[in-house]
Amino acid sequence: MPPVIRILNLTKKFGNLTAVDHLNLDVEEGEILGLLGPNGAGKTTTLLMLTTVIKPTEGTAFIGPYDVTREPDEARKLIGMAFQEPKLLWVDAPWDILNWHAKVCGLSAEERKKKVRWVLEELELWNERFKSVHTFSGGMRKRVEIAKIFIQRPKVAIVDEPTAQIDVVGKHRIWNMLRDMRDEGSTILLATNELHEADVLSDRVAIMHRGKLLVCDKPKKLKDSIPGGDVVEITLEKGITDEMLEKLREIKRVVNVLAIKQNYLKIYLNNAEEVLPKITEFFMKMQLSIKSIRMSEPSLDDVFAHYTGLTIEEAQR
Amino acid sequence: MISLRRVWTVAERDIRMFLRYKFLLIMRAIWFIAQIALFGLIVNSMFRTDVQNAVGGSYFNYYAAGIIVTMLYSTAVFIGYDIYEEADHGVIEYLLSVPVSRKELVLGRSIGGGLRSFLYVGPMMLFVLYLIGVSSVLQLLAALLSLFLFTFGVSGFSITLAVSIKSSDRFDILMGVTDALIVRLSTTLYPIAYMPQYYAGIALINPLTFAADLFRWGAGIESAAITPPLLAAFGIVAFFSMFTFLGIFLHERRLEGGGWQ
Repeated sequence: MPPVIRILNLTKKFGNLTAVDHLNLDVEEGEILGLLGPNGAGKTTTLLMLTTVIKPTEGTAFIGPYDVTREPDEARKLIGMAFQEPKLLWVDAPWDILNWHAKVCGLSAEERKKKVRWVLEELELWNERFKSVHTFSGGMRKRVEIAKIFIQRPKVAIVDEPTAQIDVVGKHRIWNMLRDMRDEGSTILLATNELHEADVLSDRVAIMHRGKLLVCDKPKKLKDSIPGGDVVEITLEKGITDEMLEKLREIKRVVNVLAIKQNYLKIYLNNAEEVLPKITEFFMKMQLSIKSIRMSEPSLDDVFAHYTGLTIEEAQR
Repeated sequence: MISLRRVWTVAERDIRMFLRYKFLLIMRAIWFIAQIALFGLIVNSMFRTDVQNAVGGSYFNYYAAGIIVTMLYSTAVFIGYDIYEEADHGVIEYLLSVPVSRKELVLGRSIGGGLRSFLYVGPMMLFVLYLIGVSSVLQLLAALLSLFLFTFGVSGFSITLAVSIKSSDRFDILMGVTDALIVRLSTTLYPIAYMPQYYAGIALINPLTFAADLFRWGAGIESAAITPPLLAAFGIVAFFSMFTFLGIFLHERRLEGGGWQ
């Protein structure tokens, strides 16, 4: 099946600044693709080009069969976008905003009434439906913004930081609603700074930095791609000798072993779930009893840091 | 292919928005009352009979019809100010992302901006028509149809300026200057016959002249000082077409090229 989004050499320059630099990326139909990157990586500019809000300087993208530079009107019919900053006027009320959005997307009066009510109730905005968004908190405005997508249910949904400023319960509700949309056939391009969000939602994750795509794969594969990304911490009953340490390092996929104490080791390896039985077998052979064992996988934070060369703190600056 | 449903959806949004500017609507209504009940009546009493005859028998009637057209103009240009509010709140980006073509968007906004001005000025227009006394309903309907197009054209003109300038302060100043020039270099307040030659040339091609004279013709004011209705109607169609086209063109070139900023 051809990809539902095909990005080809997409480039956007603002004066001397290259916001997006020859980006190439395919998004498969029915997947959630998380687009990660520090502030200024070019995520939002990419999304704005895909939604035909701004024109690329070079390259193009296809939404389904439609070229966004040549057939923007057709491309827009397949896309819906929830923006990073809620796009609401201070005089608007949620009911009017969503009802108009549903109308402009071609929903009938009956469908509009039903869907607008449903989404307002789901996102706990029903009681505030006729209040001006001027009185709303950041999280409530954000919920109105994301609600547009849930009403529209486009073939390609583009969501830019969908749960920023939203409380934990609200976040989980929106994540479930996004998964439901994906299961019903929508393809979702999710730009986020929240690595946990990308991890729990995305089928694949793409990392952008300085306008370029650094890597794109399944979260599990990305984590496994970090050499020595898995860490096994072992406390032994007795101390280990240097000779045994050397033998431990020779086990396949073990990248490094640090003896923090004589009986406390930190083993860096890949594919921990496959290597761990070999390690326990090694200690049994050496007649060293294991007192405790703890295993941790790399997070997307580690993946992000590995590929961008930035810590999360640096990226947020 | 342009979808009328989508054009109307865009227009309807602008009409709803306008009704929320209660302060503006009240102030414009007070301005209208002051122009008619104070300025119009007082100035009318200053003019000699020959002047009154030159403008169809009553300067007050001539002036009242002109004031309606300036009201239509000043409320139809308000769509430009909406564009700045929307830019501040990021709504322009949202409107550019919805499944509506640029042609439908600009056409819808021009129609919405024009129609809301027509709806707002409608009761004042009826009041003025009552004062003047309508002689031919058909003539009036033809004039009203042209005025519809005139208000759409003014909205298109305002949208064009707003997206070209991209600065609310500059737009505000420019609209003040444009208002002063376009109203005063037209026949809304006085006929061409009393203007110096160099002003008259501009007034002859001013869309406000076409609109004001067509409305007077529709209301049954008969005077040689009024532009022939066919010529005025043609001028309005040209004005509407030009600014709708420019609005579409600039939406594509100025906004999509690099966003609002």
